[in-house]
Amino acid sequence: MLKKIGLVAVLAALISVVVATTTAWGSAKAPRTASAATASVKCGKTRTIGMAAPITGPASDIGNQQVRWAKYFVKRWNKKHSNARIKVVMGDTQLGVDTAFAVKAAKSFASNSKLLGVVGPAGSQEVVASTTAYKQGGLGFVSGSASRTTLTDGHTDGNRRGYFYRTVPNDAAQGPAVANWMTKKLKWKRVYIIDDQETYSQGLADGVQKILNNRGVTTKRDSISQKDSDFSSAIAKIPSNYQGIYIPWQLAPQAQAFGQQLQAAGKGHIKLFGSDGLFAPGVWKIAGSYDSAFPYNPASKVVQTYVKAHGGNGEFFGLPSYVAAQVVVGAVTRACKAGHGKTTRAAVRKQIAKTNLKTSILGFSVAFQKSGEMKLPAAYGIYQIQKNGSFKRIG
Amino acid sequence: MASTSRQVLGNLAGLGVLLAIWVVYAVYFSPTQGWTFFFQLTVNGIILGSIYALIALGYSLVYGILKLLNFAHGDVYMIGSFIGFGVLTLLGGPLSPAIPVALLVLCMFVAAMLGSGVLGLAIERFAYRPLRDAPRIAPLISALGVAFFLENSVLLLFGADYRNYDGYELISYNGIHLGGDAGVFVSYLGVLVISGALLLMVALIALVRWSRFGKAMRAVSFDREAAAMMGIDPDRVIAITFLVGSALGGAAGVMFGLVYSQIYYLIGFLAGLKGFTAAVVGGIGSIPGAMLGGLLVGLVESWAKGYLNGNVADLVVFGILIGVMLLRPSGLLGTPALQKV
Amino acid sequence: MADTPPPNPDQPTPANTEIGVDRWVSEADERRDRGGLGGRIQRLWGGLPPSGKLALLTPAIFLPFLPLSEATIYNYGLFILIYALLALGLNVVVGFAGLLDLGYVAFFGFGAYAYAFLSGTHHEKGHEYTHHWSAQYSILTAVVLCAVLGLFLGSSSRRLLGDYLAIVTLFFGQAFVVFTNSADPYGITNGSNGLGNIDPLHFSAFGVHLTVSSTRGYYWFLFGCVVLVLIIVHLLSESRTGRAWKASREDPLAAELMGMPVNRLKIMAFSFGAAIAGLAGSVFAAAQTGAFPQNFGTQVLILIYAVVILGGTGSLTGMLAGATAIIVSFQVLDSTSPPNNARTLFYLGLIVGVAALFRKSRLKMAVAVVSTIALGFAVHAIAEAVWPRGTSGSVTSGGYLTGAIKDWVLLPTHANRLAIYGYLALIVLVVVIVQLKGWWRVAVVPPTLVLTAFVWENLLIQQPAVTRYVLFGVLLIALMATRPQGLFGTAKVEIV
Repeated sequence: MLKKIGLVAVLAALISVVVATTTAWGSAKAPRTASAATASVKCGKTRTIGMAAPITGPASDIGNQQVRWAKYFVKRWNKKHSNARIKVVMGDTQLGVDTAFAVKAAKSFASNSKLLGVVGPAGSQEVVASTTAYKQGGLGFVSGSASRTTLTDGHTDGNRRGYFYRTVPNDAAQGPAVANWMTKKLKWKRVYIIDDQETYSQGLADGVQKILNNRGVTTKRDSISQKDSDFSSAIAKIPSNYQGIYIPWQLAPQAQAFGQQLQAAGKGHIKLFGSDGLFAPGVWKIAGSYDSAFPYNPASKVVQTYVKAHGGNGEFFGLPSYVAAQVVVGAVTRACKAGHGKTTRAAVRKQIAKTNLKTSILGFSVAFQKSGEMKLPAAYGIYQIQKNGSFKRIG
Repeated sequence: MASTSRQVLGNLAGLGVLLAIWVVYAVYFSPTQGWTFFFQLTVNGIILGSIYALIALGYSLVYGILKLLNFAHGDVYMIGSFIGFGVLTLLGGPLSPAIPVALLVLCMFVAAMLGSGVLGLAIERFAYRPLRDAPRIAPLISALGVAFFLENSVLLLFGADYRNYDGYELISYNGIHLGGDAGVFVSYLGVLVISGALLLMVALIALVRWSRFGKAMRAVSFDREAAAMMGIDPDRVIAITFLVGSALGGAAGVMFGLVYSQIYYLIGFLAGLKGFTAAVVGGIGSIPGAMLGGLLVGLVESWAKGYLNGNVADLVVFGILIGVMLLRPSGLLGTPALQKV
Repeated sequence: MADTPPPNPDQPTPANTEIGVDRWVSEADERRDRGGLGGRIQRLWGGLPPSGKLALLTPAIFLPFLPLSEATIYNYGLFILIYALLALGLNVVVGFAGLLDLGYVAFFGFGAYAYAFLSGTHHEKGHEYTHHWSAQYSILTAVVLCAVLGLFLGSSSRRLLGDYLAIVTLFFGQAFVVFTNSADPYGITNGSNGLGNIDPLHFSAFGVHLTVSSTRGYYWFLFGCVVLVLIIVHLLSESRTGRAWKASREDPLAAELMGMPVNRLKIMAFSFGAAIAGLAGSVFAAAQTGAFPQNFGTQVLILIYAVVILGGTGSLTGMLAGATAIIVSFQVLDSTSPPNNARTLFYLGLIVGVAALFRKSRLKMAVAVVSTIALGFAVHAIAEAVWPRGTSGSVTSGGYLTGAIKDWVLLPTHANRLAIYGYLALIVLVVVIVQLKGWWRVAVVPPTLVLTAFVWENLLIQQPAVTRYVLFGVLLIALMATRPQGLFGTAKVEIV
């Protein structure tokens, strides 16, 4: 027995020594992929970029919208630039299931030596989770939907300046637009606010509530869960004399169910006001409701072609990903040109920072601030749902 | 026997006292006061509770006869709601039904109950019967596997999109106003759900109490071998119990879809947990216990969402469960298990 | 009595167990006389001392020296080790003490959040928390806190028997997710955003500073943890406590009568398992540089259970083997890895399945395989002639099997509806196969296999991420029905 313990102890000691040495050795050396940032990549006729989006999982609907818009850009680009083609490697982040998948996707991209830049990821949590992996790989990543305000302030959720950029206005811009419309145009005096417990929703609800209170509007606040379908108790709490309910949620079907249950409870005269997460014509169709959504240029040929090709459904959630892809591809191309056929990921990042698109399908020019936000703070559009279910822009 | 029914009476008395204290607080001392608000929440809770009661009955029936917690029951409920949706879409959809609405709803219920029942039969035959004599961990793990399989199959085949029953479009947005226009509002759908649940529960009680099959069920749950010796085929009885329990779950699924509109592949998990809670709180294995438990869980959830907020409502429900289980492990109407040495 | 299932040789019956002797002992003679290669390997393995078995792990140290990419080491190496750790911990609770703990993943999460909170910075709701404890303190604190939490949960098992304990622990697991996601008092957990701004593992003691920031570094650190935990658990299982656990698992009343403090033992088991999960959680949070509520949901729980059950409850080797098998197949069936790997794994699995189904009769196996291939070609040829749409689809990112698949499997152009019906038909057929015997089974297997390939190529391979969860569910069911002791387990585990 003693001999056994002795043997085991010796072996354990040996193994721990080996492990400690190798760990020390492994961490003393600079991690191999850090050099990936400055490793030279040949440009050639085809350049590789990555796209991180929720292709499967509960958010696959919006993820695939983003993928389709981004691929639409790449297709048009490849047609025009046959000697500077772009290949897209997909990474499935499965938003809503587990952020670990976003990290795995980031690591895969970082290990792919030919990959020069990334479009995505879609969710703000995924940005937080995968930042280290992207930084270690030296990759710049441009998101078309991660709108949490604290992502770019450099300290709250980590510092990703110089790596992370986004082609959507952040959540802090949406609140004032909504509050302005409610007070100046709709002249509401009593507003009920319900959030869905996600940070996106709470941030918007807090922001709007503050502004409304400052302007003398009576507000009440409640919250429901994204997993919920039973809103009857929440609805029972809403006094009948309130004029509007602000629901900055992410799941359009929930808003539809809520609207129906509201009407069934006899409170259908209270109008709903949603946020960009609910911009889903055909899913949320309570006529008369309002919605705020990030802007785009409906007159653009590109947008119209896309809408026609998809049976009238513009899938506008994915629209900023088109611009994100445009930014990344433009940066890669410029970097390759400047490096005469060779470039590095660090050079691509520098080019992303220098992006200056005079026109874009967003309806305004795109350039980035140091923090990663776009320079021109966009004005959110206000829409109203018509009787036939379509969203009409009214402001 | 006298001691156990005394304990049950004690449990009920304690429950009554707690409820009375709560009612007084809610109506007179809480921030949102008033009888109307309280009654509205109570009505909502009864509707929700009826659905939970039907799910809990499925758990209780199976546990009573097999001493097995059928984790997959929540997903049978989910599939029932999808079957109902499928029938609804097939027969024209909520906005333009091809046949009279009453007939359509009846078809949905029948299809869902049949489909869920058959699914329950298959699960029993395939996942539980081979494990009849295995250590207790085996059927529980198998149940987890079945639940996982069902959820992800639905995700695979039909995607993660929410489907909307549009029940109010189908039937009506109107309802009964109790106590005038500013009083308590019960939609017709709510009335349908409550009466449907009551009907099914009465039918179940009739089946268990007054039919020969019910006697066989009670015999098998009491002592399987003795029942076999008396000429009852336990396999057949167990299979039909599963059929009945799963059919109730399927009906609950359709009711859920009608009243709360949206269904997706994960509703089984959450509703299954709450139905579980209900069955255990009421005393698992006991049919009146499941009904009482379901009602209680529905009421507590509704009150919690009304007086507190949506954030903590689930925590409150789980907290109550844990409290009841620590104080009265065999539930409110259950009898404490005697261990044979 | 019609329809009783035939006696299963793997279940203990009065014929192969004696009273007071467990199955492992009663099968000793059988095992010694087992012939062939399998028998020799088994005797060799059984003859090794534990240190010898441990030494077989040394090659794993050299894995990161191979020219594998960061991503591969992260996806495979790190996750295998993390799940091995988790499985070892769960093994203590389920395998040694026989307690069904369905909230185990909450301890994993708690360890992760504790580390993230203590070794990071974050601001939320006006509160600012900046602790930058060095890793030895934060990991230690996380482990201790988890042990205390396990103690607390375990003490609830005092009054609860098997099934009830399962429910309470399940709710505990759910309550944890709700707590971190929504309740979030004082901004400790940062709600659904999770804690992101955390330091990499950073040890500083006696003037020595060691930072682990690369994936390889984490791999070796985790490897060391796994070895350490293996040794501790092994020593524990051989000790008085271990034997007391096994006794209370088999028959708690008898154990109590023999003077063992069964309640205290149960609480200890919970606590110990929780501590191991806390360790795994801390390192996971550091490796991922983040802790999010979604990382600790039911799917992770099912995976850990799949590892433990597949490996065999009670067996330490099994935990490692199970972790490797499950994580490798999990990764291969990931939607971002090349579909070729998934396809290879799938067809390999089919072949292994057929072999396992007909292992008793080589003739039947041969007939089944040959007729499957023939049937596939026949169906394809007929479809080509009669129904052109049926074969004009394309293989999804083919790889080296494209040619074979194109000629053997039906690939309709708009396959979605058909594939769904095929899937449902497949479920029915599989249920039927299990009930049939002999040549009837051989008759039904080829059409089933052809249908399986059809459904795979047209539906499953396009969503491999979901398919693998379906497969794991089926794996759990099949394992329980055919081989509940898993690959390496020997014990009959009764939940207490």
